[in-house]
Amino acid sequence: MNMDTQRPDDELISAWLDGEVEGADGERVQAWLRDHPDDAARVRLWAADRDALRARMASVLDEPVPERLSQAVWRRSGGSSGVRGAWLQAAMAAGLLLAGALFGAAWVRGTPGELRLSSAPRWTQRAAVAHAVYAPEVRHPVEVNVREGDAAQQREQEQHLSRWLTRRVSVPVKLFDLREQGFELVGGRLLPDGAGPSAQLMYQDGAGQRVTIYLRKADQDTPAAFRFERQGDLGLFYWVEGDCGFALVGPQSRERLLALAQSIYQQDQRTASAPSR
Amino acid sequence: MPNVQANDVFRQQLLGAIPRLRRYARSLVFDAAAADDLVQTTLERALAHWHQFDQRRDLLVWVLSIAHNAHMDQRRRDSRVSVVDPERASAEQDAIAADPGVDIGLRLDLINALARLSVEQREPLLLVSVEQLTYAECAEVLRIPVGTVMSRVSRARVALRQWLDGSVRPTSNLRSLRRVV
Repeated sequence: MNMDTQRPDDELISAWLDGEVEGADGERVQAWLRDHPDDAARVRLWAADRDALRARMASVLDEPVPERLSQAVWRRSGGSSGVRGAWLQAAMAAGLLLAGALFGAAWVRGTPGELRLSSAPRWTQRAAVAHAVYAPEVRHPVEVNVREGDAAQQREQEQHLSRWLTRRVSVPVKLFDLREQGFELVGGRLLPDGAGPSAQLMYQDGAGQRVTIYLRKADQDTPAAFRFERQGDLGLFYWVEGDCGFALVGPQSRERLLALAQSIYQQDQRTASAPSR
Repeated sequence: MPNVQANDVFRQQLLGAIPRLRRYARSLVFDAAAADDLVQTTLERALAHWHQFDQRRDLLVWVLSIAHNAHMDQRRRDSRVSVVDPERASAEQDAIAADPGVDIGLRLDLINALARLSVEQREPLLLVSVEQLTYAECAEVLRIPVGTVMSRVSRARVALRQWLDGSVRPTSNLRSLRRVV
């Protein structure tokens, strides 16, 4: 008989709704709600209120960050040594490694006196959505597959992919080699972006985990700096180099994505400084 | 040599935290400009105390706790002024009502009801519901025990529901609130 079951109090039920109650207490709450539709209805309303609050505030994340706030972050109190000198000193003092060097270098070079900053631009959301849509695809993850056929055919497909995407996206689309990090190129596709098309390159590791690189012609308001953000289960590094905006998207850890982003950044630097083949 | 200037990696991280800081501030003080003032104060304090930040911790939790403190300081300073300016709340409602994709009936009331909660209830509710912090993180931000988070979130939910179920004329209630404050 359920009459003997003690009613869990509101605190416990509310904490259960927030995923904070597990084990026997959690089962007790679930059992109670199963047998008491009035209380279950109340909890559904709490959940609806929570979702409505979330939805109501979500749009703030899409707003561009006001300039005064991004400026507040980069304002330096006192001290007049050059940005590069100050950064080097700070980096050394903090014992920063390559990650810092990459952030710092990308940042210093991307700041010609004035800072162009905004919140995560919308194109990075398109990059995340494109990843979420195509990465789980088993049969058609890409439009141009570079893993089909023999070695010569694969090579041909790679050249075709790079030429085709470069022509359509109007920025040089290089096929980065991420094998050192355990990722093989699967192929790529063309996607609609804001003003024009964008390219998505897909890579896969031995366990079938995928990452995608989203490339597009950069907007004026895209930050030049290296930045990281999470969009749900996906992590996203993005930056701008020259005319091209890059977003690396995947479910991997931040550290793993950073290693990949560094490799992409370095390969891009190498090919940018050397004459293209 | 002590390093008085925050390094660029820290500034980058701080920059990345701005959108969520803005969302939290907006949900706390409703008015966009006032919320950004709070964010700016938070960023300045974070930069001034950047060496106190332990890199192994979550930066967002750390800056949210700074925002909480800044907000409380502001409330103490402006004890005369109500947190919810009724006119701004109305303007906010108009903006929401003008948004076609929104369930007007529910959300008009939602903002009103949220505004009526005490700040002691509103903060944990927002941190847990909107910012999706764990109770432990929420406790860290607000510097209160986890058990207190649990009871305040629960009471906030019950109170919010009472307002939503019972508030027939939210606007007139807000006016009376203004008189009291």
